[in-house]
Amino acid sequence: MATHALTPAASTYRRGRLYDWLTTTDHKKIGIMYVINSFVFFLIGGVLALVVRTELAQPGLQFLRDEHVYNEMFTMHATIMIFVFVIPMLAGLGNYIVPLMIGAPDMAFPRINALSLWMLPLAGILLISSFFTGGTAAAGWTSYPPLSLDGPLNSPGSGQDLWIVSLILIGTSSILGSINFLVTIFKMRAPGMTLFRMPIMVWTVLVTSVLVLMATPVITSALVMLFIDRNYGGHFFDPFGGGSAILYQNIFWFYSHPAVYVMILPAMGVISEVLPVFSRKPLFGYKAFIFATAAIGALGFSVWAHHMFTTGSVFLPFFSLLTFLIAVPTGVKMFNWVFTMFRGQLTFSTPLIFAIGFLTMFLIGGINGAFSASVPVDFALHDTYWVVAHIHYVLFGGSVFGIFAGLYYWFPKMFGRMLDEGLGKLHFVIMFVGFNLTFFPMHQLGLEGMPRRIADYAGDAGWNDLNLLATVGGFLIATSILPFIWNVFVSIRNGKIAGDDPWEGNTLEWATTSPPPPYNFDSLPEIRSERPVFDARHGRAGH
Amino acid sequence: MSTSPRKRPAPDALVAGLVVVILIALVAAVFLTGWGSSLYPPNAATAEAHDVRGLYDIVFAFALAIFVVVEALIIWSVLRYRRKPSDTALPAQTHGNNLVEVIWTVIPTAIVLFLFVISWQTLNRISTVSATPDIRIHAIAGQFQWQFEYLDASGTKVATQLAPLYDVATGEGGMAVPAGETVQVTLDSPDVIHAFYVPRFLFKRDVVPGQTNKFEFTVDASEAGQVFRGQCAELCGTGHRRMLFSVIALSPADYDTWLTALIVKANATPAPLPSGTTLNVVAEGVKYDIAQLEVPADAPFAIAFTNKDPAGLTHDIDIRDSNGTVVANQEVVNGGTSANYVYEPLPAGTYTFFCSIHANMTGTLTVK
Repeated sequence: MATHALTPAASTYRRGRLYDWLTTTDHKKIGIMYVINSFVFFLIGGVLALVVRTELAQPGLQFLRDEHVYNEMFTMHATIMIFVFVIPMLAGLGNYIVPLMIGAPDMAFPRINALSLWMLPLAGILLISSFFTGGTAAAGWTSYPPLSLDGPLNSPGSGQDLWIVSLILIGTSSILGSINFLVTIFKMRAPGMTLFRMPIMVWTVLVTSVLVLMATPVITSALVMLFIDRNYGGHFFDPFGGGSAILYQNIFWFYSHPAVYVMILPAMGVISEVLPVFSRKPLFGYKAFIFATAAIGALGFSVWAHHMFTTGSVFLPFFSLLTFLIAVPTGVKMFNWVFTMFRGQLTFSTPLIFAIGFLTMFLIGGINGAFSASVPVDFALHDTYWVVAHIHYVLFGGSVFGIFAGLYYWFPKMFGRMLDEGLGKLHFVIMFVGFNLTFFPMHQLGLEGMPRRIADYAGDAGWNDLNLLATVGGFLIATSILPFIWNVFVSIRNGKIAGDDPWEGNTLEWATTSPPPPYNFDSLPEIRSERPVFDARHGRAGH
Repeated sequence: MSTSPRKRPAPDALVAGLVVVILIALVAAVFLTGWGSSLYPPNAATAEAHDVRGLYDIVFAFALAIFVVVEALIIWSVLRYRRKPSDTALPAQTHGNNLVEVIWTVIPTAIVLFLFVISWQTLNRISTVSATPDIRIHAIAGQFQWQFEYLDASGTKVATQLAPLYDVATGEGGMAVPAGETVQVTLDSPDVIHAFYVPRFLFKRDVVPGQTNKFEFTVDASEAGQVFRGQCAELCGTGHRRMLFSVIALSPADYDTWLTALIVKANATPAPLPSGTTLNVVAEGVKYDIAQLEVPADAPFAIAFTNKDPAGLTHDIDIRDSNGTVVANQEVVNGGTSANYVYEPLPAGTYTFFCSIHANMTGTLTVK
């Protein structure tokens, strides 16, 4: 029987490019938009950091109008960097790469995925809008009551309320995203992709999603109670109305400490993909690494009160012990990474250089954290610039270096073109130097007694030189972003064509085209290990 | 097959080894030359701080050793195992080694358990609070001023120091303590969370509204005559950075003199109001009840000032001229009390009266 084409042929419904991106449910486009949105907020948060550093370059209030504006600046800097940059940036990388890595055509719930994405710019805009509606939140990103309650010397105005609403929106986005990741990872893996053949990146997103799912509703409850206290006369956290100021800290940190692992585990996942590929060796101790990740996730829920050692309301030995113990699985990871490179054949492409930056700097962030696990030492260091140094060695030296390693690594997959290696290395060198100039002196400032969150310091306290150094470093970091932006701008159109597998990758995303088609894969290689593409390339030689 | 990694040409190993040696030499040089001293806390000034410093030194020694070992491993791996054009075949595909995994789990566990135990022991020593301390001070941290109540053995207040900062010129202000004697401090806040922090005590404790925290310290007898910088360490609002205080270590004899003077001052009858203009100003809810004041030029005047805010929240009424120069500086008045401020004659003009603690409390003073 003859077949004949329908006339007229069913026309494909053509959407405008912008309309297509705005309405897409494709996890890759959503992932890229997550990344772009997060990067925009990274720039905004960075500018706020420069404002803070400029004010602190010299003693005296010379750059900002008054202390209140200063308090707004560091509050918004931290809030934006944590909630609208690092967490969503890593969620975005996960969104792009997890379905590809497990050989799935998309996330399990594509429309919910789009919802998770679009809540983020909305939340970010709400947060930023408080700049134009009478002032932002100014009680620190932790927003401890009673300071964050309503009152003439506390936090009057709508800024704090917008902050609460924005964080609840971001939290809801995170919860939806984590459910999506969990269902995708458990139900949509390609045949042969057993749990213990999943790439480490997928494992870290899995553990992260469990943390988000268990912890985020808890902070949401704290935020709702804070909102009620502020607006409807609740007294949950008002010590003069039968409430407890410390209760908020317990609930807040029950989320916000696991949130640190939400911000570092996927970055560790990126590093664990990059190091083996550029060393031409498998990850040393694959299973040990997974157990360490799970251990960090589990222990992460029992260390929250180490942020509260000086409150006088904490059972100190328990939280001290658990905080010390969490160093063990972290150390296991560090040794596994180093031994992955050991006796390998290293190619110093930009992703590997950022990964090495991660190793060297995150090590410091781990070590200086152990000081605070020792309660008496923490009594000296808590709420000083030492802590500011610590969080930045973890979240910048760790997370941000990991994020850039991931962006340089997967950019060719996302856009089909290579980023320029020279500009990438220039970016790294300036950022690495700037980072250490900014944050290393903060150890010394903290030891000498400079508290966090002060708009000014005495000129005779001996803190002038170190502060100036940190400010110079801050501007170097800002400078380092310029070659990156220029690199993306140029390479996205004129970069070298990447091909399917420019790095000789291990995992399934390198088995499809760059960029992948909307449905991801025409065919999959056999999955017999955690490195299916490596196996297909090298056959028996690889074992 | 290719050459095994062990038989690689030597230059990479030499370079890597050299860099590792340079790293170790640099770290050693930093500490031998004294540059490393900035990575230690300031000189401890109390018995408890010496204990904490001893602990810090141990933690720091472990930290430095781990830093050097791991960074050296990273540097060695990075520089030694660079891929060469001749590296066409794969390196040995080592998937792991259970023995080394156990080793680098057990050794760090042992280290952190050791650090935990010595930290706990130190904690127990520095946290002891006796029933009969030599000196009792009740420190109240309100937005944005410290005040120190001196208590007798029964816990009754004998005097209040409302000026938290030591003034070198007048020798007044600050929290004086006798060196060599045990001082017990109880902390209370009438508003938000603050923190009592003296860097040279290597100690801080939060001042939490709704709960009274307590701690003890003994300043070294050798520190008598020293003034220690103290500061609020927990963000408490716009005036956070101005919540400074001084701890003055005195010899026990000097301390007794100091306290007696404070008691005398506290019990002194307030100066009578001068004849002439007397205004009434009330502060409540961190606001003055009046925004405009008017007094005659070139004549002394007085303000009967009542602070109706809660105890711990202090206010005053200072005056600055149109250039911003402070022309009258009064002592603060605690919440729930009142004072009579007497002002020197002012030439005609427009001035601003303001609270030195709360930047939002201002008004206009017209002198004509």
